[in-house]
Amino acid sequence: MRKSLFHPLAVITIVLLGLVPLAGCGPTPTAAPIPTEAPAPTSPPTEAAPAVEEPIKIGFFSPTTGFAAADGTSALNAAQLAVKFINDAGGVNGQPLELVYYDDAAKPDQAASIARKLIEQDQVVAGISGSYSGATRAAAPVFQEAGIPMISAYAIHPEITATGDKIFRVGTLAAVQGRVGGELVGVVLGAKKVAILTIDNDFGVSLTEGFKSRAGELGVEIVMEEKYPLGETEFRPIIGKIKEVAPDVVYATAYYNEAANLVSQAKDEGLDVQIVGQEGYDSPKFIELAGEASEGVVITTDLNRDSERPMTKLFLEQYKAEYGEDADMVGASAFDAVQVLAYALKTAGSTDPGAITTAISGLEDFEDCASGPFWYYTEEREVVRPVSSQIVRDGAFHLYHEFTDEELVTAK
Amino acid sequence: MPFMQNLSNAVVLAGTYILMAAGLTMVYGVLKVLHIAHAAVYTIGAFIGLLVFTWAGNFWLALAVAMLVSGIVGVLIYRCTYHYMLDAPRTVPLIASIGLFVMLTDLLQKGFLMGPYQKALPAGGAGLPRIQTSWFSLTPKQVLILVVTVALLAVVYLILTRTRIGLGWQAAAMDRDMAAAVGVNLNRVIAFNFFLGSALAGAAGVLVGVYNNSVFATMGDLPSYKAFIIIVLGGMGSLPGTIIASLLLALVENFLVASVGYVLPRDAIAFLVLILMLMFRPHGLLGQE
Amino acid sequence: MFSGYIISVAIFVGIWVTLALSLNILTGYAGQVSLGHAAFFGIGAYTSAILSLKYGLPFWVDFLGAIIVTGLIGMVLGLPSLRVRHDFLVLATMGINFVVVAVFKYVDFFGGAMGLINIPAPSILGYSFRGGFPYLALVWAFATFTWLVSWYVSKTWVGLAFHTVRIDEEAAAAVGVSVPRFKIYAFAISSALAGGAGCLYGHFIGSLFPDTFVFVESIVVLSMVIFGGVGTLRGPVLGAIILKAAPELLRFVQDYRFTIYGALLVLMMLFQPMGLIGDDSLLWRSLTHLFRREGVGEVDS
Repeated sequence: MRKSLFHPLAVITIVLLGLVPLAGCGPTPTAAPIPTEAPAPTSPPTEAAPAVEEPIKIGFFSPTTGFAAADGTSALNAAQLAVKFINDAGGVNGQPLELVYYDDAAKPDQAASIARKLIEQDQVVAGISGSYSGATRAAAPVFQEAGIPMISAYAIHPEITATGDKIFRVGTLAAVQGRVGGELVGVVLGAKKVAILTIDNDFGVSLTEGFKSRAGELGVEIVMEEKYPLGETEFRPIIGKIKEVAPDVVYATAYYNEAANLVSQAKDEGLDVQIVGQEGYDSPKFIELAGEASEGVVITTDLNRDSERPMTKLFLEQYKAEYGEDADMVGASAFDAVQVLAYALKTAGSTDPGAITTAISGLEDFEDCASGPFWYYTEEREVVRPVSSQIVRDGAFHLYHEFTDEELVTAK
Repeated sequence: MPFMQNLSNAVVLAGTYILMAAGLTMVYGVLKVLHIAHAAVYTIGAFIGLLVFTWAGNFWLALAVAMLVSGIVGVLIYRCTYHYMLDAPRTVPLIASIGLFVMLTDLLQKGFLMGPYQKALPAGGAGLPRIQTSWFSLTPKQVLILVVTVALLAVVYLILTRTRIGLGWQAAAMDRDMAAAVGVNLNRVIAFNFFLGSALAGAAGVLVGVYNNSVFATMGDLPSYKAFIIIVLGGMGSLPGTIIASLLLALVENFLVASVGYVLPRDAIAFLVLILMLMFRPHGLLGQE
Repeated sequence: MFSGYIISVAIFVGIWVTLALSLNILTGYAGQVSLGHAAFFGIGAYTSAILSLKYGLPFWVDFLGAIIVTGLIGMVLGLPSLRVRHDFLVLATMGINFVVVAVFKYVDFFGGAMGLINIPAPSILGYSFRGGFPYLALVWAFATFTWLVSWYVSKTWVGLAFHTVRIDEEAAAAVGVSVPRFKIYAFAISSALAGGAGCLYGHFIGSLFPDTFVFVESIVVLSMVIFGGVGTLRGPVLGAIILKAAPELLRFVQDYRFTIYGALLVLMMLFQPMGLIGDDSLLWRSLTHLFRREGVGEVDS
């Protein structure tokens, strides 16, 4: 009865829905549908000498859909904020910056296609990855082969920069941050016994490795070590185990949602032990979701809320003003990636990839970043910089301790 | 003593599973369709609960409204899709369900709805007390979960056994065509069924949202997979089976982690249990066929 | 002049066409609805990656190894289909997907969370290629091979056996078709081909991470098969092409990708459950009607 009535209409609808994509012609990449946009003139790929108003295009990809949408959105927001800053201040070498962005849903094959698209169709002069390790690692070889520089904002997989001489990283290597954590726990907190909880992705694994190496050097005893799945919400059984081994400190790698659950449940279950986290916790969401249980938690991170540095304060204020939320670590990293790129473009005075990479490598005591400062780049294209640590007091992150020992924070 | 504490935590955990699974088994009982989109009403329930709680500050009101809205959405889902597929081969509503699940979860994640971030639902224990004994303790939130779960289950039981529509459901669950033949209004029964099952899922969403103090678009995924596992374990369409299976699963998860840690993620473990179950006892612990 | 971008999209489309066709053998022909196909995709990818990374074997060995190993594992993982059907089988395959991904993540031999990287590019006679036309040709050659296998299966006694099993298992057994045997065959063939696709994927991207093969990806492949027309040779091909290429070409589709996939599935089930160009669909009937030759006896399937 129903079928014959709807058949033709329905089929037309479905066919239209399904075939509309094929009808779409070459894409005109536009900036994201979010208030702040870099000025986007309609322009075919440029040839020889660019006109004065011709924008410099930077490619950007991050997961704004899928399981990593929270981080991807933060990264994108912050990157666009940076572009806005730069353009408001006159742009780069007299030209405005344009952020060409795509959503990669943190999928490696998407990222690889996007990388090609950015390079060939959008003709970007450089790229920034605001995505996770898998996607970044898939895109990096594409950029490297094409000779276009790429900066990884916060993806931590060590092999990313090893792809080639055009690939740089802005975020602190997880291994370095882990070592700083070891220093924090062993020296600053003076703990003798530690229980380790490792989140089961590359972020967690790298952090823990770094932590164990430094903690081992300091003679800290690891009384328990457990891996747990990303997205876990039920920590009570593990907390029970931790109570039994009675450590001085719990070093738990996590993102803000796992961390919030962990600390709340620890409080509920009466686990009265100092919890130390890392930049995964570094989000206003952690404090919001954990509530009072977040008080006193210490984390290693790059974003110092109490910093006196003008760019940090500017970033924090403006991000809040623009997006209504407090900024987080992921955002700060993306912001910094754009800043570094802009600096390189200005220093190089051109968009020549070789000049850009030389400029980045030559970067010294860079202050125009939200996290930082950046001291210099190693030969492996990792940035060396002090690492901060923050403590949650009165519902906000505050400075706890700065780690400025160059040897400690250099990637080995 | 950790054993007793683990036990009580496991019971609470089971409580967070039971309502979701009960809703699913109810739907399956009559429709014989794996309503994968059940996850969506769970999440919608949590979302509505959050909205109402933020606006009115009262947990119980939030719970009631959330259940109502989830129930309605559930019925809508049924009326727009499964209703037309009742006589189609079984794969058709199954695929439709998958499509709904994927579509709704993605939509919910968009900024104009729930957005990509998690949001807090700080309802605490809604005024309930903490229970402290020498063997274990229950936080107010845990007490809340137990109270609400038991209460709702009791209500469902009463409805199913004492009301006309409940009996109609039981008949339809046994044999749909026969039930229709003896005058059971199938449409009404199924719609009511969906309403109740989805309302239960919505309640589960609110409870978990309060328990973990977080509400987010993809929060329904894992609980819905768990719910499937539970209804298979307990025997599809069997409410007592669901309760027992929920308890069993929660116990296994908790004690496994407490003893050997995460040798595999909990969901993988649950699925392994499922696969073994399907291989050796497909009709579940209490199911019959 | 084809840019590297277009070629890379075409490569991915080719890989997913292979996946869709291979799933179609299992789900369309043999009637075993599987929501775990991404697991086989992953097993093939990881197998070939390990063979080339840890044992330094040349590409052809990795490729064949991926196909054979995945096929064998597919036979084992297909065992639940002997016990359960329909919804239960769907759950079981879903479970298999979860467990396989968990194993990739938690067992260090597979790289664990750090994944497998620096997978070498395939090289033949000393010429190494990781993209461009040679790789495109390779991928589509395999897709064509898969298509031919599907065609062969559908036309021979194996296909007939599958068909009977799909329609009515009891009847099939009654006429002497060994139902368990053919179910396992279906799993073996289907997973082997998916494993080959996995190898091609891994060697193209150069790195592998467990989350690429999660359950959602199985849903995507199933969508392609259903959308195009399950149980036909042409359906999965069209479904894969449209659903894989669309997000690349249209931004709106990219942002709302899963909403659209989901909506398409629901709409298809409501109005055209046989798929866009399935046997009984409006579109297909219109098309064949247009091109029908006069007089030649035609069997309407």
